[in-house]
Amino acid sequence: MWAYIIRRVLATIPVMAFVALFVFSLLYLAPGDPAAVIAGDQATPDDVERIRASLGLDRPYLVRFSEWVFRILQGDLGTSIFTNLPVAHMIQQRIEPTLSLMIVTLILAVSIAIPMGVVAAWKQGTWIDRAVMGFAVLGFSVPVFVVGYVLAYIFALELDWLPVQGYTPFSEGFFPWMENLVLPAIALGGVYIALIARITRATMLEVLQQDYIRTARAKGAGQRSILFVHALKNASVPIVTVIGIGIALLIGGAVVTESVFAIPGLGRLTVDAILRRDYPVIQGVVLLFSFVYVLVNLGIDLLYTFLDPRIRY
Amino acid sequence: MRPTRRAILASGMAAPALAQAPNRPLRFVPQSNLASIDPVWSTAVVVRNHGLMVYDLLYGLDAQYRVQPQMAAGHEVSDDGLTWNIRLREGLRFHDGEPVRARDCVASIIRWSKRDVLGQRLDGLAEEIAAPDDRSIRIRLRRPWPGLAWALGKPSANICAIMPERVARTDPFQQITDATGSGPYRFRQDLFRPGDIAVYDRFAGYTPRGEATDFLAGGKTAHFDRVEWRIIPDPATAGAALQNNEADWWETPLPDLLPLLRRNREIEIGVVNPAGNLGVLRFNFLHPPFDNAAVRRALLPAIDQRSFMNAAIGTDPALSVVPAGVFTPGTPLANDAGLEVLTGPRSLEAAQAALRASGYANQRVTLLGASDLPVLQNLSEVAGDLMRRVGFNVDMPGMDWGTHIQRRTNRGTVDAGGWSAFCTTWEGLDVSVPGSHQPLRGHGAAAWAGWPTLPRLEALREEWFAAPDDATARRVAEQMQRVAFEEVPFIPLGLVRPPQAWRRSLTGIVRGGSALFWGVRRA
Repeated sequence: MWAYIIRRVLATIPVMAFVALFVFSLLYLAPGDPAAVIAGDQATPDDVERIRASLGLDRPYLVRFSEWVFRILQGDLGTSIFTNLPVAHMIQQRIEPTLSLMIVTLILAVSIAIPMGVVAAWKQGTWIDRAVMGFAVLGFSVPVFVVGYVLAYIFALELDWLPVQGYTPFSEGFFPWMENLVLPAIALGGVYIALIARITRATMLEVLQQDYIRTARAKGAGQRSILFVHALKNASVPIVTVIGIGIALLIGGAVVTESVFAIPGLGRLTVDAILRRDYPVIQGVVLLFSFVYVLVNLGIDLLYTFLDPRIRY
Repeated sequence: MRPTRRAILASGMAAPALAQAPNRPLRFVPQSNLASIDPVWSTAVVVRNHGLMVYDLLYGLDAQYRVQPQMAAGHEVSDDGLTWNIRLREGLRFHDGEPVRARDCVASIIRWSKRDVLGQRLDGLAEEIAAPDDRSIRIRLRRPWPGLAWALGKPSANICAIMPERVARTDPFQQITDATGSGPYRFRQDLFRPGDIAVYDRFAGYTPRGEATDFLAGGKTAHFDRVEWRIIPDPATAGAALQNNEADWWETPLPDLLPLLRRNREIEIGVVNPAGNLGVLRFNFLHPPFDNAAVRRALLPAIDQRSFMNAAIGTDPALSVVPAGVFTPGTPLANDAGLEVLTGPRSLEAAQAALRASGYANQRVTLLGASDLPVLQNLSEVAGDLMRRVGFNVDMPGMDWGTHIQRRTNRGTVDAGGWSAFCTTWEGLDVSVPGSHQPLRGHGAAAWAGWPTLPRLEALREEWFAAPDDATARRVAEQMQRVAFEEVPFIPLGLVRPPQAWRRSLTGIVRGGSALFWGVRRA
């Protein structure tokens, strides 16, 4: 097992190297110039050129890339072109809201979606099954920002139960922290709930046809035991896989959700940086997201061995 | 103010916080993210607004756009007009407690003079900028410049922000890192989270002038201990935050949301900046077809400024001004000379005929938009449609602002990634006078994007700088407008006057230009 973990961790190095090369090259080729954005609407070409030179953007691709990689290897993500702040510091400022949003969404989604999927499979063909599938279709179909605006309108503007926007750090108390996360987590969780519920239902339906379920029933096992002990455990590998894949959905959804609810997280940092062509920030955040995604996949692969003892690495 | 259910519920748990309600911060939603803190390095309007809070200026404009001393106690100009002696008023301090000395001002003026359009004029004219003593600034010029005080107090980017000498010595093409300022509010760099919040505390050591507040002139008295700029990028969320009493003041409400906000009795909507922004259709003079004045002029009979304004900011006539000439309507130099080309009967047929007669050979016209800036994009859509109807072969590639502004620096043909025309807006105060009016410049390769070479306009600009009185300045401005409608370096599309929205609990909002944080208080 440990050898496998070490192999997988080592395997992340070429993956991250490829991501680094890809991100840097993509930004290099993409239209837009931070110097022109800084110089502003009124600038003359000479102003733009002077700013480009002062930022080092006039140097060849290979020189810039090698300098950037050298800094990354030393743990330095660079400095924002616009704010003049270290990228690592900016990420540090923004990581808590995004992590909070993702964790709350994950907990909410898993705790709702899995029981929904199990019950839908159990009650296959009934109105409960159709209701769950209908909800899943809705969850997939309605964009996050629409759900967000509707929730804010009902629960903040009309009922005045929750704030419209913003974020309160966890250090200021659990309830204030949670108050700002309820609506965004529900908005972001919709598509995730739909995805997990559908996979849970499909996998459970397959598992419930297996001989060992029939055997469990013949032995007189209760319905709850059959569903949640015998069936769900055996259906868990695909479900966990989807939860892991869904992390990418959450990262993408967080960009929109953070904008709608004005949460100062990494998603908004990314959007702002892209619009301004703040290359060091974009590169730093994308590297971080990629790293997280690689780690999540590693974690899920390791989790398989606990869920299915037949899997060995 | 209506107490909200959440506030009442919260009061049981947080009584001390409620007891401090009168001193609670002013929560302001700015037009965009504050990405930089250097108002000399950046030309962004939001950075200029930050600069006006944190830095004081030697001079300031009053609501009638007349220049008045601000940090300066006054000045004397030699009889030949070549030497200015500016005296600082007493009691001026920086946020670190150090007194403001003349050498700080000199260093600040020199840094500004490398970046700003009027500053660069000073840079070219100045023989000496010196500090003979701690309270005196001496500027010796090669030629008289009666408008020097106006330049030093100009409210549009880049402002001549007075910084400590150690900060002002920063390369003008590099950002400052030390936010020590001289204005009524102190920037809390330790609490700054770009893209989220910027915090300003009242500077107790600031000595406002004794006069009443008058835009950027008079006493800048801060009534809030703290002002928080809360960055809310989504307009619908910003509007909801204002309605829900999570924000006090929103700088740029979306026109589409105004009816909704107007229905809320707690919210007031008003035009704080009557000088607004002038819509501009700019041409590239380097390549066909707009290197031909006849082609540029061909569009004039078809231009309907009202259509452009309706698309930009909606149909409420209070939010835009037409007709607009080349100078900002409502400002001293605005005039009607030659304006009949835009105010006469509109005729698409006349424009089509003029285009046919111009020698236009169906060259591709690349019109740049900016999909992430609604006002610019809407102006571009109207311009594109109009050009097609007049008979131009128009191509409008989709792009965001970051791409647009880079492409504008390309001087090549459209086949080489260049461009033919674009729409934008200019701050009304910038284009209210020839000195800072970039779209009117005609100095070729060094000019604003489009690079027109128009010696007549350049000569008139020099005449304006040397104008000894207002009547002469106005006469020059009229001539400039006539020439502008002959040469057509750009076409004015009307004046956009974006409204601001604030909760009625705020009073004393200072009118005249951008959002200012002196004078305003909680009722």
